[in-house]
Amino acid sequence: MDSMLKNIAQFTLFFSIGVVIFAFAGYENHLSSYQNSDSNAIPETLEEALLILGDEKPIHYIATADPDSVRMGMEMVYYGQLLDESNDPISKYFVCTDCHNQVLESANPADESADAVLEHSMTNNIPFLPASTFYSMYNKRHWYNGDYYKKYGDLVAPTRDSLYNAIQLCATQCSQGRAMDHWEIRAVLHYYKSLELKINDLVFTEEEKQQLGNWIVNDKTSAIALLKTKYNDTNPATFGTNKTPEVPGYEPSAKNGEYIFTMGCLHCHDPQTGITNFTMDNDPLTLRYLYRKKDKYNNMAVQHITRYGTYAMSGRKQYMPMYSFEKLSEKQMLDLLHYLKVEDTTIN
Amino acid sequence: MKKLLFIVSIIVAGSVTYGQEPVLESFAGTRVLSNHSIEMLPKRSLEFRVSHKFGDIAGDAGGINNFFGFDNLADVRIAFEYGILDNLDIGVGRNKGIGLISGVVDGYAKYRILHQKTTGMPVNLVFVSSLALPYKPAVSDSTSVASYPRFLNRLRFTNQLLVSRKFSDRFVLQANVGYNHRNYVDYLDGNGLLFAGVSSRLRITKTFGLLVEYNHVLNRPEGVAANYQNPLSVGIEILTGGHSFILNFSNARALNENLFMPETTANWLDGQFRFGFSINRQFKL
Repeated sequence: MDSMLKNIAQFTLFFSIGVVIFAFAGYENHLSSYQNSDSNAIPETLEEALLILGDEKPIHYIATADPDSVRMGMEMVYYGQLLDESNDPISKYFVCTDCHNQVLESANPADESADAVLEHSMTNNIPFLPASTFYSMYNKRHWYNGDYYKKYGDLVAPTRDSLYNAIQLCATQCSQGRAMDHWEIRAVLHYYKSLELKINDLVFTEEEKQQLGNWIVNDKTSAIALLKTKYNDTNPATFGTNKTPEVPGYEPSAKNGEYIFTMGCLHCHDPQTGITNFTMDNDPLTLRYLYRKKDKYNNMAVQHITRYGTYAMSGRKQYMPMYSFEKLSEKQMLDLLHYLKVEDTTIN
Repeated sequence: MKKLLFIVSIIVAGSVTYGQEPVLESFAGTRVLSNHSIEMLPKRSLEFRVSHKFGDIAGDAGGINNFFGFDNLADVRIAFEYGILDNLDIGVGRNKGIGLISGVVDGYAKYRILHQKTTGMPVNLVFVSSLALPYKPAVSDSTSVASYPRFLNRLRFTNQLLVSRKFSDRFVLQANVGYNHRNYVDYLDGNGLLFAGVSSRLRITKTFGLLVEYNHVLNRPEGVAANYQNPLSVGIEILTGGHSFILNFSNARALNENLFMPETTANWLDGQFRFGFSINRQFKL
C-alpha cells in the first residue's frame, strides 16, 4: 500500500514538473517575459513615415482605418451598395471596379506610365483599365487632373485638392449615380486608407536606403523629399485625338494588343458583365468588325472611341470613359490595332 | 413527333466545345422573329418593344395598289417586358389583333430551366407560358368566335418549351414544342392545338444576321385544316448596340403566339406574306 502511494506521489510530482516545463516552453516570451514598446520601430505605411518626419497631414487624414468602415467601403466599391442592401445602390450602371483596380498597377509606384502598367498587369493578370487604381489613392493629393476639365468642366475644380469631393464627383458623374451620403464617403475613405502605400511598396536603391537612414536622423526635409520621389501624388491626364498613331520604327505587339483588348476592352464589353449594350468578345466576328471600322470618324473606330470615349445622354446614361495617353500609350494603341488586324483572318 | 425528337437530338449532340462559362447571346433579343427565343432579359432590365406587320406584299390584297402592303396594317404590338431575375422574365403587351380577334392584351412569364455552358450543359431550355385576352365588346352574332358568351371564353393560352444550342459564334438552332388552348373556337375547330417549330440564327457579321422561324401545328382538325397555314418567317437583324432592328417577311399576320399559332391563314404561295419589323430598347431600372 505504501509502495503504491509512493508511486502515485512520484508520478504526480514528475507529471506536475513536466506540465510546468512544457507550459512555459509553449508560451515563451508571453508568460515568462514582457516586451517594451519599440519607439524606434520602422513605420509600416508611407503616411506614417511622412508624418513622423514632420510632413503635413492630408485633408482626408485618417489616423487608423476602422475595420467596419473598411468593410462597408469595400462593399460599396465592389458591389455599389452594402451587401445587406441597407443603402440604395450608388449607380444603376457602374460599380467602381468597372474602371478602377484595387491593387498596385506597376512594380514601382513612382513609375505609373502606361508601359510600366501594361508590363506589370501582364505579369500579374491585372485588368488594364482607364482609371487610376484605388491602391495608393489615399496617398494622392490631386484628382481629376490635367484634361479632365475638358470632360467635366468646372465640376472638377472642387475635386482637384479634395479626395472627398473627387469621390462624390465619381459617384454622380463617372458612374452616373446618386450623390453619396457623408457616411458612405467616409467608409470609402477608410477603405482607401486600407489600400494606402506601404513602405515596402516603394522601390529604393541600396544607396538611397542608406541616405534615407541618415536623413531620417539628420535632415528630415531631405528624407521627406526623397520619399516623395518614390510615388506619384498626382496622376496626370492628357486626352488624345482619334488620329492613328505613328511611331517610327515601332513593331507593334499582337501579344500586348490581345492583353489590352481582353483585359481592357472586354473588362466592360464582355457580354457577361452586363455593363454595356455593345458586347464584344475575342471571336473573329468582333475583331474583323472592329478592324474594318478603324478608319471611320465615329464611335465604331477603335482609336476614336478609345481616345474620346462617349458621353452620358438622356435614356442612355452609361457611357464609356476614355483612355488618356497616360493610361494607353501611342505604342499600345498600335498594339491593339495590330491584334485586331492579325486576328482578322480574312486579311492574312 | 419523330421529326421533333430528331431535331432535338441534333441540337443536343452539337459538336462545338467552349470553355466553362455560360454561353451568351444566342439570339439578339427575346424573340427570334415572332416567337420567343431562349434569350432572357438581364435582371432589373425593362425592355420596350414595338413590333409591326404590314399588309400582303403580293396576291389579291397586295401589289402596287396597296404599295406592297405598306398601306395596310396587319398587326402591331407594343409591349413592356421585365427581367425579374436573370432566369425569370414577365411581360405585357397590347396587340391590334387580327380579324375578329382584335384589341388583344397579352401577358407572359418565361423561365430559363437550363443554360448552355461552355462545357457540361450543351443546351438552353426555357419554358414560356403566355395568355391573351381580346377585350373589345363581343359581337352580336352568336355563331362568331368573337361572340364570347362568358368572359372566360375570351382567354387563350400558350405554353412552350424552347431548347436551343449555340453551335458557334455564327450559328444557333432552336426547337420548340408547345400547346395552345383557345377557350372558344369555331364549331369544327379544336380548342387545343399542339405545335412544334424550329428557328435559327446565322450571323454574317458582328452586326448583321439572318433569321428563320417555322412552326407546325400538329393536330389541326381535318374539317378546318384547309383554312389554315403554318407560320413561316424569314428575316434579318441589324444590331447597333443598344437597339436591335429585326426586319422580317412572314405569312403570319399576328405578332403574338396566341394568335399566329392558331390563326394563321395566309399562304406564302398566294403572295400573302408581309413585311414586318420590331425595335426594342432596354433600360436598367
